[in-house]
Amino acid sequence: MSVIVRMPDGTIKLMIKGADTVIYDRLEGDQPFKDITIQHLTDFANLGLRTLCVAVTTIAPDFYDDWKELYFRASTSIQNREKKLEEAAELIERNLQLLGATAIEDRLQDGVIETISNLAKAEIKTWILTGDKQETAVNIGYSCKLFTQSMVLLIINETDIDSTRECLTRHVNEFGEHLRKENEVGLVIDGQTLNFALSYDCCQDFLDVAMSCKGVICCRVSPLQKTEIVNLIRYRVHAISLAIGDGANDVGMIQAAHVGVGISGVEGLQAACASDYSIAQFQYLNKLLFVHGAWSYHRLTKLILYSFYKNICLHLIEFWFAILSGFSGQVLFERWTLGFYNVLFTAAPPFALGLFDRWCSAEAMLRFPVLYKSSQNSEFFNIRIFWLWCLNSVFHSILLFWLVVLALEQDVAFEDGKIGDYLFLGNMVYTYVIVVVCIKAGFEMNAWTWVCHVAIWGSIVFWFVFFTVYCHLWPTIDQAPEMVGMDVNVFGCGIFWIGLFLIPLTTLLRDVMWKVLHRIMFKSIHEEVQELEMKHEDPAKMVIKATRKRLTETARLLKNVFTRSTNRMQEVQSEMQPRGYAFSQEEHGVVLQSELIRAYDTTVEKPEGL
Amino acid sequence: MASDDEQSESRRPQDTKFKQQRLPAWQPVLTATNVLPFMFAIGLAFIPLGVAFLITSNQVQEIMVDYTHCKSQDDPSLTCAEYLANSNNTGGSCFCEVTFTLPTNFTAPVFIYYSLTNYYQNHRRYVKSRDNDQLRGKKISSSDCQDPFLKVENYSGTGRDYTYAPCGAIANSFFNDTLKIYLNDSEVKLLNTGIAWSTDRSTKYKNPPGDDFAKAFNNTLKPRNWQKPVYDLDPSNVHNTGYENEDLMVWMRTAALPTFRKLYRRVDTSNGFQGSLPAGNYTLRVTYQYPTVQFNGGKRMVISTVSWLGGKNPFLGIAYLVVGSLCIVIGFVFLIIHLKIGKSASTLSSEISSRTPY
Repeated sequence: MSVIVRMPDGTIKLMIKGADTVIYDRLEGDQPFKDITIQHLTDFANLGLRTLCVAVTTIAPDFYDDWKELYFRASTSIQNREKKLEEAAELIERNLQLLGATAIEDRLQDGVIETISNLAKAEIKTWILTGDKQETAVNIGYSCKLFTQSMVLLIINETDIDSTRECLTRHVNEFGEHLRKENEVGLVIDGQTLNFALSYDCCQDFLDVAMSCKGVICCRVSPLQKTEIVNLIRYRVHAISLAIGDGANDVGMIQAAHVGVGISGVEGLQAACASDYSIAQFQYLNKLLFVHGAWSYHRLTKLILYSFYKNICLHLIEFWFAILSGFSGQVLFERWTLGFYNVLFTAAPPFALGLFDRWCSAEAMLRFPVLYKSSQNSEFFNIRIFWLWCLNSVFHSILLFWLVVLALEQDVAFEDGKIGDYLFLGNMVYTYVIVVVCIKAGFEMNAWTWVCHVAIWGSIVFWFVFFTVYCHLWPTIDQAPEMVGMDVNVFGCGIFWIGLFLIPLTTLLRDVMWKVLHRIMFKSIHEEVQELEMKHEDPAKMVIKATRKRLTETARLLKNVFTRSTNRMQEVQSEMQPRGYAFSQEEHGVVLQSELIRAYDTTVEKPEGL
Repeated sequence: MASDDEQSESRRPQDTKFKQQRLPAWQPVLTATNVLPFMFAIGLAFIPLGVAFLITSNQVQEIMVDYTHCKSQDDPSLTCAEYLANSNNTGGSCFCEVTFTLPTNFTAPVFIYYSLTNYYQNHRRYVKSRDNDQLRGKKISSSDCQDPFLKVENYSGTGRDYTYAPCGAIANSFFNDTLKIYLNDSEVKLLNTGIAWSTDRSTKYKNPPGDDFAKAFNNTLKPRNWQKPVYDLDPSNVHNTGYENEDLMVWMRTAALPTFRKLYRRVDTSNGFQGSLPAGNYTLRVTYQYPTVQFNGGKRMVISTVSWLGGKNPFLGIAYLVVGSLCIVIGFVFLIIHLKIGKSASTLSSEISSRTPY
């Protein structure tokens, strides 16, 4: 990018800025500051600054006049205008004198590096899809630690489908048996090549290569290609995908992914409006995923399993009673107590479970992203667990019904020799069911807040209160005549109170035993974190030890294998090591650089203050 | 600009503990160390309780006398059941006697029950076949009962529908055997009040208003299988007749299980048999009117004392004993597991120090 100016004394100068590789190619002969400038550039790059070189040259007036015409013709030509402009620029940008280097701090948002490394720790694969140039994209990849210096970079930059196919096949063969496994390799591919790579015959190879890499950067992609890539992952790999973006060009991919996250802010609100979740900064993705995402998952699983459990438990009792009532369909409970089961008496525990339960503390989840892994593998909600809960429910219903039947077998329930009836039995069973079901919800909660206490004990108390009131309705209100006198007799029956201690305890004994044995024999990592936190010890050491085991022997070996075989590639890489960022002028951007320069009147002094 | 600031202020979510999911919580961690003391405590509490309940239940005395197939006194070759099965004798009564012995004194209060087997009072259509408003005396005719227990249309050619009082299958199948107990030919005095739930007496069952019972029940019929109309159920006691008859109340309270017993009479221990029903040979005299043999139902009479827990049922005592012992066993199992496995885990984590190589 250069500008030609006429100085006050009539000389014509060309001033140019650009990437160091580009400028150095066009320098004239030997310059005194070439080497020291390179040193400076390297230093700037190490500090993570975006660098540029600035150079100048003087142009002879007659050469300029000739060139002016050439340039004019090139800029007005109808065909191949870009190529002709480039050629014209080439002619004049020569024999430059190096002026120096500039470095600009163009920081990434706060916390981006930590977020990306956390994602990697949680074994979430991260891909960057950007419209920037390749150098910029690669530089950003290094700066946000998606790529490390020890990784091998595969750069795919082909111009037609045959060479793309050939390149991809070659890479697939190079991977060999390490295909689709964890390798310290990064992939960089640009939009043009992606067109070919996403075509039908190359698609699978591209996927294989991409899945074998630790990080993938696609540069120069159009919004449509972003969508295509997300769809590829979603439907071919069957992985859960999350797309995060902040501009209108990200809307397609945000909507195509399973979870779309929009960053609302500088670029406008289109991404935020099109997304499932919108956050203000990229680093909030940490909390969104690791705290709220994981919590949501655990809460939902508990909620679903618990809802099935409590309903099966109650309604299976009807079946057991049917065995004793000739399968005539007689309901053991009164109609409205049954109807209000899900609405009033056991409505609060699912709310408490689904809204307030905290599987692991927020601090621990943020510090140890590896804990997120358990919510990625269907560890808490799969077919086996579902059927185990149903089985548990059947077991509970058997105990709840048959124990009461055995206790009331000879009907005489009172000190005055009087007997009960079917509804008397039914109300006793119903009370025990509510107590068991609510306390079971308590066992499933990992964090008992005041909401949980209210939900559990409040539900039980509410049933007792409702029962008392409901039995006195008839005949003032024409409702539930069969419940008259039930509360007095149920609460006045010794068997009821004795059963209230025995039967819920017996029913939940197995659950408690299972949990304790599970914790002793198959302690999971988050349970250990929980216990260490309660003892006010730092779980960091334990987590590191546990996760270190994950890198198996094979993985460690193959890491060495890979670095050895592709050392040559690495050497080539180091030569072309970019020193800092390539400050890419957004070509064909909305605002032309030339317009931007002319917007300011440089003869007027800059105002002070800011 | 100011309004923007205000707006952006108000859109910020409140930073309360409730809304930001920071509520303080107690974390119930079920480790072996936490649960152990509870297991032992429960075990140690339950076992004596179980023993106590078992003793209480064993102190209850009970005797059951089956009289389903007792022989008719008029014709000893027939059982009363066969007598009733004969279609000529439907609605008739048969007298029979059964002797039984009380092995020990039955301490007051002593209760007499009748027990039926294979009798599904908990059948759905049976349970709903009643009219509570009629039984409350609010109306004479009914609409809640189903045919054929509801009414007779065009009764005796009068052109009017006569409702059964009380209507419904439950009332229709009212138990109408009469049981009397004799000790050496002197009758044991039995009380037929105080056997139904007090709430039934006060709220659910009321005779239709009016002094003359027969007139109040005008235009109604006695149910098909009854021998006498509802207002003649207990002529000796005006408070125990009509709908307010306690035997009727007890019967209408439909039992939960197919084998059930219902309170029939209380033994009057005020005079004669003070304090207890003495041991000895007794005779049960039955006015056998209730046919059960055609559905293989059995009829028994039960004499039983009670405890504060109810009748004779060792189940609760046994259950407490079993659960208590189970808890103690589990406690020991946890103790052993905790000492073996739990120790090794904690030593492992304590071995990691700052010098452990990564």
